[in-house]
Amino acid sequence: MEKDKKEKLKIGIYELTGCAGDALLILDCEKELLDIFNAADIHSFLMAKSDNIDGELDIAFVEGSVSTEKEKKELLDLRKRAKVVVAIGICACFGGIQAAFQSQEEWRKNFKAVYGDVKMTHTKPVQSKPIDSYTPELYRFPVCVECKWNENDCLLNKGIPCLGPITSAGCGSVCINHNLPCVGCWGPLEGANLSSEFQLLRDYGFDHDFIKKKMANFSGTGMADFLGKIEGDKK
Amino acid sequence: MKKISVEHLARVEGSGGITATIDGKVVTDVKFTINEGPRLVERLTVGKTPEEDVNLVPRICAICTLSHKYAAIRAMENALSVKVPTKVHLFRELMHLGEMIESHSLHVYYLALPDYVGFPNAIAMASQFDLEVKIALEMKEFGNHIMKTASGRYIHGENPVIGGFGKFPTKEELLWIKSRAIQFMPFVLKTVNLFCELDYPDCPEDNTVYACCNPPKNKYGFTGDEIILSTGATINKEDYKSLTNEFVVSHSYAKHSCYQGKPYSVGALARVNNLGERLKGKAGKMYSKYFGPRWKRNPLFNNAAQALEILYTFERIPRLLDELLKYPEDPPLVKYSAKKGKGTGIVEAPRGLLIHSYEVAEGLVSHTDIITPTAQNAEDIERYCYIAAQRLLENRKEDKIRDRMDLVVRAFDPCISCSAHLAEVKKAPQDDWKEKLEEVKKKGSPIYVGVGKRTRSDDGLGMELALKLRNRGISDVWLEHEIAQRGGPWRNKHHRPLVFLDAVDFREEPGKIVLLPLHYVFSNTNLSHKLLPFISGEMHYERLKNSYVLGIQPESVQEGKKMSKPVRLSMAKVLVQIVN
Repeated sequence: MEKDKKEKLKIGIYELTGCAGDALLILDCEKELLDIFNAADIHSFLMAKSDNIDGELDIAFVEGSVSTEKEKKELLDLRKRAKVVVAIGICACFGGIQAAFQSQEEWRKNFKAVYGDVKMTHTKPVQSKPIDSYTPELYRFPVCVECKWNENDCLLNKGIPCLGPITSAGCGSVCINHNLPCVGCWGPLEGANLSSEFQLLRDYGFDHDFIKKKMANFSGTGMADFLGKIEGDKK
Repeated sequence: MKKISVEHLARVEGSGGITATIDGKVVTDVKFTINEGPRLVERLTVGKTPEEDVNLVPRICAICTLSHKYAAIRAMENALSVKVPTKVHLFRELMHLGEMIESHSLHVYYLALPDYVGFPNAIAMASQFDLEVKIALEMKEFGNHIMKTASGRYIHGENPVIGGFGKFPTKEELLWIKSRAIQFMPFVLKTVNLFCELDYPDCPEDNTVYACCNPPKNKYGFTGDEIILSTGATINKEDYKSLTNEFVVSHSYAKHSCYQGKPYSVGALARVNNLGERLKGKAGKMYSKYFGPRWKRNPLFNNAAQALEILYTFERIPRLLDELLKYPEDPPLVKYSAKKGKGTGIVEAPRGLLIHSYEVAEGLVSHTDIITPTAQNAEDIERYCYIAAQRLLENRKEDKIRDRMDLVVRAFDPCISCSAHLAEVKKAPQDDWKEKLEEVKKKGSPIYVGVGKRTRSDDGLGMELALKLRNRGISDVWLEHEIAQRGGPWRNKHHRPLVFLDAVDFREEPGKIVLLPLHYVFSNTNLSHKLLPFISGEMHYERLKNSYVLGIQPESVQEGKKMSKPVRLSMAKVLVQIVN
């Protein structure tokens, strides 16, 4: 085991604000977990180990979204230390539910509703939002594709508000397999036909605001432009 | 003055730390901090449909995902009067047991055990505990498998919904789970022996109050409609606020809770303490063999309690599946038509009592309150760390404080992502209270509420001021003891501001006056009692935003003493300002 230590990749797994589910999912690889720890040098993994090192890394996996100034600093530091930074999960890629508030104004309003005029002494809060550019890997098709593979009946045809057509695949269309509509939790699909989905749901008689909120539940800032536009159309 | 701290707690879920402040031979302070940023989850659910709420709230936490889903569904079904058939109840219990296995086995073997056998993590521990590590991983995977069968995937499955399940598993899938559960039994018994026989340090030990769900029919279990305390008292779930009394503290993003002004504990240890006598079968025997007085006083025994619960769960699963298999028909989702209602749902998350409470109006969520186990444990985590640090300091083992605090925090199996109420408050600001009071008055004619105890010198200032205001002809003045009779002005939502008059300890010069929003009620101001935190916990958000505390720094709050001179002078100033 010692001899090949030099060739091992130095990996760190980091958690920003979120449900910590992506880090947990790595621990959920029960059968492979010992192999993973043997195959790579896990330099940092706060959920799993105490002896963490802050050094240079080959790969940093980051989950969660930046929600405080401290986290922003941490992420920028990681960017310097790691050759490759990989965003894992919807929070890291799109902001997650933390980013469901449409505008900064709306976020501020809700922040104030919870915290009042309190000045944070700990670390300044920031609104989660996507970075300027990123390269989505894999799944350049919607949940519908997987849903067809699984030979499900289309729920939209039955008038059930399903977000499958505008959501990135990868989950194996798990909700529709369970006779339930897609809630959009894997984030928006690049290039999806948002206005068509919107119109379809309108045709089925769903309320303008209901559809807008539904589309924003998990992918808020990811489709902020579109949602802003339809708001404009309404006016 | 010196600080000993664990800045980033490892082997816990989420990001947090613990710090003890030491002055010579005295530990002056211990603070459990939560580093996660604001997520505003409760606010996020307002305006959503009940179904969307049930989609969203499990995202609070990955490791308690199904507990959150379960609590939210129970609350919503309660609010909207949805009654589900027996098969749904049984299948929900199964999904919940899956989460218990997954979370408990992760915690006892991977997060906790390395400390007791001297390894930095479970993987390193595998060199010496090869078999344990491997089988424990299989056990965790089995828990995950149940969660996936019930919910659709390992984390954040959407199959459980209001009114039932999108889909039920086949008979074959259920039979497989049953046979696999039986196979694990020898290892499960070994697990109980291992964790009940670990050499837990006797520091810290102290009494506390334990709280958990009270399962019906005198059974052990993880749900109920009332809360039971180790004092023997029970609390209806709708009255949960009389247990939690949440309040904001200055050093953490999570709110803290106190019951009757004192910290309390939730979790596996609370359940075993309160309900252990109800355990039957092998779990009952193990309980009789191992349970002892130290379990009532030492939080480290939470690890043993979790091991005992793993056994309970593995014994329960085959019986539960036999019951489930009696219902071959899959019931369709229960439809409902209610558009408004109010309801609370409580379940035991692996790490303790979890409360979801909602108000629905016109088919949309109008108010959400979620109280997580770790937020409830925060006060006791700090207290036990304080006891440990102080005792180690007295025994000249200062070098051990850091690791011991780490051990204590971890024993509570904290789940930091779960701190849904994220808030932080700074020390009293130096604002001019006069200007602020005028601003408050502009919002509407304020109702003044005097609180405090008149026999305790400066603490009497609130009542004294209120009485003086009445004498000056101000009509909307209430006294503390009248609040109950009037039903509490904070229950209505009308827009007149509420101003509480009270002695507030900011550690400032006696007589210093401040006017603060009520949610500034913080721990580094030492309020004379827990009434204000209690009231602010009861308030509707809209009401809370329009409530204030006009506080004066007391010189003394000793029983029997007279009111101090600086406080008297300040009272006169306040009186003039209000009357004008």
